[in-house]
Amino acid sequence: MEDIEVVKTSAENTRAKILSAFKEHVLETGRQPVSVYKFAQSIQISEEEFYNYFTSFEGVKGGVWEQIFDQTVALMEAQDVYRAYSAKEKLLSFYFTWVEVLKKNRSYLLALYLGQTGYKKAMPDELRNFRNRFKDFANLIILEGKETDQIVERRGLSDKYEDALWVETLFILQFWLKDTSPGFEKTDAAIEKSVALVFDLIGKTAVDSLFDFAKFLYQSK
Amino acid sequence: MADQMKEQEHIPTSKVQRASKFLSAGAKVGGNYIKHYAQKVVNPSLSKDDLHISNAEDIYASLSELKGSALKVAQMMSMDKNVLPRAYQDKFVMAQYSAPPLSYPLVVRTFQKYFGALPETLFDTFTKSAVNAASIGQVHKATKNGKTFAVKIQYPGVAASVSSDLKMVRPFAYRLLNMNSKELDHYMSEVEEKLLEETDYQLEIARSEEISGACSHIPDLAFPKYYPELSSERIITMDWLEGLHLKEWLATNPTQEARNRIGQALWDFYHHQVHHLRQVHADPHPGNFIIQDGIKLGIIDFGCVKVIPGDFYHGYFSLIKQDSLMKEEALNKIFFDLEFISGQDTAAEQTYFKGVFKEMISLLGQPFHAEQFDFANDAYFNQIYSLGDRISKDKMFKNSRQARGSRHGLFINRTYFGLYSLLNQMQANIKTTKPDWLK
Repeated sequence: MEDIEVVKTSAENTRAKILSAFKEHVLETGRQPVSVYKFAQSIQISEEEFYNYFTSFEGVKGGVWEQIFDQTVALMEAQDVYRAYSAKEKLLSFYFTWVEVLKKNRSYLLALYLGQTGYKKAMPDELRNFRNRFKDFANLIILEGKETDQIVERRGLSDKYEDALWVETLFILQFWLKDTSPGFEKTDAAIEKSVALVFDLIGKTAVDSLFDFAKFLYQSK
Repeated sequence: MADQMKEQEHIPTSKVQRASKFLSAGAKVGGNYIKHYAQKVVNPSLSKDDLHISNAEDIYASLSELKGSALKVAQMMSMDKNVLPRAYQDKFVMAQYSAPPLSYPLVVRTFQKYFGALPETLFDTFTKSAVNAASIGQVHKATKNGKTFAVKIQYPGVAASVSSDLKMVRPFAYRLLNMNSKELDHYMSEVEEKLLEETDYQLEIARSEEISGACSHIPDLAFPKYYPELSSERIITMDWLEGLHLKEWLATNPTQEARNRIGQALWDFYHHQVHHLRQVHADPHPGNFIIQDGIKLGIIDFGCVKVIPGDFYHGYFSLIKQDSLMKEEALNKIFFDLEFISGQDTAAEQTYFKGVFKEMISLLGQPFHAEQFDFANDAYFNQIYSLGDRISKDKMFKNSRQARGSRHGLFINRTYFGLYSLLNQMQANIKTTKPDWLK
């Protein structure tokens, strides 16, 4: 029993070591290492051991993203007031906390992603895990929103809501990467604005009422 | 308007978005004109007042969504009662009270940015929604160790958008204020400078502490204490002043004695600032004052402070001496110094403008000419409005090649107009003091 614990913690340590060494390399050279072999050597593990944790540098980058997501959620949930938030406020809170975590990694992200990730461009593979986690989170919010009538169920469209939120997430990332305003104030405004827009679209709108009314007229003929 | 206000979740920040707001107001105003003239065909007795009312409603609706500096400009226009038709003023005065608030996560974010802590950790309680909206921020109520605080938080991006906002307001102001473009530039650059200062909360705290300290000896005034350790570039924490806003207070039908007392406190406050400190709280709109039980005038918000340069001060205030209207030579010099007239003017223009300015000065100086002045005198204010109206329609002013009046005069005029109109609302009778050198 005890042995397993020890193995587990040392495995976590090695994983964390790889992640931080990778970030440091990108920070210092501006690009990712040339080969897994060289990289493993520089942190004194064997190439073989590296593959126990990640199969490629894409995997490492994905690991960094997962870390960012987990940190964001942990920080966000540490705020007592979070539980009292409405669906919309939860999403706002997520983005605000997220850009705060991103800020700590800005140089790293700029080196790798400036101009790379756009909602128009193909998504880099390493964002996949981040996206899955985000979508789980988004689905929780959407569910809550539907319960409290902030979000309207629309057949054929409702299951696309999570995609809409993901597009927004990529938009915010790209906006933030390019933001040069002091304290990234413009990103703050972009977040408020885009969340308001998304919730206006997926909330009850005039179109819903119009549709409802048309249905009523048709049925009562 | 206020009762159906829904929580606004964003400030339209991009230029395009703001521009579209103005466009929609512009379109509506255009529509109102068409409606007006269509109705006029049917009913020739229709006055322009109705038109001004519907225009003001549409413009106000658009402006109140803009917040930030655009709202500020609306406020300023509503202060300068002499330049705006009455219907516009009433709508804009509403802008001084409330605009819809921003989302709470953004408030939390701002706190984390500047203090690295949540509002709930810094205070025992903190209201989730704003209790009051200031033009470029909103106010939350907080408590700690049994004390109540007002915490003002600035909207993000306001400072960055001041200049582009003002460019956007320009064509509007042009149409509303009937100014020529030179005059407008003159006006706008001074306004821009003041607005930028107003976004600097550190400066505001410094000034608040300085002025409230220097005015602490004046009776019947109350100033909140400021807490620099709980303040930053975007957050100001001060004592919560319990009391009523001017309009609410007037609705309780205070006695004439109480009105006079509050009015006198207000007058003394401005007198001391202008003549002794030479810097003045240049934002005398009703939202910045709170009337407390036991009759004290609470003064909040030192965002807009105008420092009065020495030579401007002497020129400007020597004009209120009654006999100065007689001495042609001295008067000419002052008019030149204050840029009312310039060497570019033809002799005919000089005589014309001098005539108008003399009339204006003798009118505005009236409260100073006696020991006591009754601001309840509506006839006096109508005289001011009609003079303002006449000037704004005057062809000579519209075609004038340059702006008239020193730029420093802008905020000083605004301050005095604001002060007079507050005293008029209070219907107060005031001992109008003068500095010794003018007696």
